[in-house]
Amino acid sequence: MSLSVPEGSLFGFLGPNGAGKTTTIRVLLGFLRPTGGTAKIFGLDCWRDSKAVKRDTGYLPSDLRLPPWMNGSAALSIFGAVRGRNLTGAGRELADTFHLDLRVKVREMSLGMRQKLGLILTLAHSPRLVVLDEPTSSLDPLMQQVLHDLLRRRANAGHTIFFSSHSLGEVEQLCDRVAIVRDGQLVADESLAALRERAGHNVVIRWSDESQALRLEPPDFLKLTRREGAVWQATLDGPAHRLIDFLAGKAVKELTIGPADLESLFSRFYQSDQEVAS
Amino acid sequence: MNRGLIIRAFRELWPVTLVLSLVLMGMEALLAYVLPKFSDDVSQEWLKVDYTRAIYKAMLGTDVVDRIGRQMFQAMAWVDPPVIALVWAHAVVCCTRVPAREVDQGTADVFLGLPVSRREVFLSETLVWLVCGAALLAAALSGNLLGGLGLPAEQRPPFTQVLPIVLNFFCLYVAAGGLAWLVSSFSSRRGRAMTIIFLILLVLFLLNYLAQFWKPLEAFAFLSPLHYHRPVYLLGGGAWPWSDMFVLMATGAVMWIAGGIVFARRDLCTV
Repeated sequence: MSLSVPEGSLFGFLGPNGAGKTTTIRVLLGFLRPTGGTAKIFGLDCWRDSKAVKRDTGYLPSDLRLPPWMNGSAALSIFGAVRGRNLTGAGRELADTFHLDLRVKVREMSLGMRQKLGLILTLAHSPRLVVLDEPTSSLDPLMQQVLHDLLRRRANAGHTIFFSSHSLGEVEQLCDRVAIVRDGQLVADESLAALRERAGHNVVIRWSDESQALRLEPPDFLKLTRREGAVWQATLDGPAHRLIDFLAGKAVKELTIGPADLESLFSRFYQSDQEVAS
Repeated sequence: MNRGLIIRAFRELWPVTLVLSLVLMGMEALLAYVLPKFSDDVSQEWLKVDYTRAIYKAMLGTDVVDRIGRQMFQAMAWVDPPVIALVWAHAVVCCTRVPAREVDQGTADVFLGLPVSRREVFLSETLVWLVCGAALLAAALSGNLLGGLGLPAEQRPPFTQVLPIVLNFFCLYVAAGGLAWLVSSFSSRRGRAMTIIFLILLVLFLLNYLAQFWKPLEAFAFLSPLHYHRPVYLLGGGAWPWSDMFVLMATGAVMWIAGGIVFARRDLCTV
């Protein structure tokens, strides 16, 4: 896997469960020693200089576990002592943003509250790099939006957000660059704009004349998914003007070109070669 | 070392240390008060019975025939199996926190995601362990001295003779802790680590005990840490047990260092 994350970007790290997202993150944070190659953050080796790397990094694990006796205030105080900084002020501001009562003990918290506390502890020291491993799995949609807004603001301020998820919609909404991992291999690493261009568009053509619809053969760039009477449903590969050129002079009653279909593109990335063949 | 990690370890270890200290203090007070009273009831002849002699020898680490008396019974307060079990249990609880418990509970991801080196984690936890261990044995010493107050002044063991026993006991505690660090450093499951450690300690305890009854085991008795914990000598006015303390501390230190090296190099995966 060869992957580089530009500074100041909102980087989505996508892949199905078990693809190797968390393992990659563990290598980046120095929990696992790479069996080959190197991993560097801020130009520092992730295994050898792990402490220095983590000084400017905030990490939220996917399965967040905190000691049950801790409450938010104690956690901020201990994390601050470990980092050698006072995190109470910034922590309280974030707690207000996420509507979390810092007096509640972890053992009394719901999953969502724990996730919020984890986010506060991850972001309170304003790290240059934020590594979030499926951070919204326990958050309600409102809080997801709050988090997305916060992350966008941090990215605009020059901080780098490395956002791991298996949800395309979330990454599509938030990130400007995406890497996709499958079976421990990187299968894509592009900007979302480039992926959108590569993705096909769903197209529906309603012909005025049914006999013409039956007689005509679709061009190479148009893959029919359904052909029923005077209606064609298809996927368009490439730019729309080719389709318009093809339809020019033909009896078209209605033409609908949908937005880029990232979902099916990602499905193709997610599936193994064997699954695609079958 | 890291202040935040030290605060957290103290916060998590003080309750168990307090409870065990109070229990140990109570046990020591009781034993120190009750055991010397037996000396008047036990005759020289009874202790000359081979089996009884062997049991006392196994517990005290020396043949008792020439040391029968109040001091022998006072020494037993420091070799009583429940007392040793409590002290070892505390060492095992403290020394299996990192990495076995952290990985097992999943908190390793959170705390090792902070800017701390594994060496800092190891040293911070070690400091807290040793301070808590010292507090535990200080409580045992106070209990023993308190129990002694119930005896006539001339029957109380002098502080100068009890102190080396407690320090020797602390070395025994360090040896058990060193073993716990080593086993924990290989493990990702605390329950499994604790089971292995307790089994090893049980075998070593039995080795010391059975070697008194079974000749072939005698040659291996030196492998048991209890072989180096003989309070009856000290209460009899013997010299400080420097060599015993050195063996126990060195064994504990070697295993502790080995555990630290394994912990610093191993992969940590909570899933």
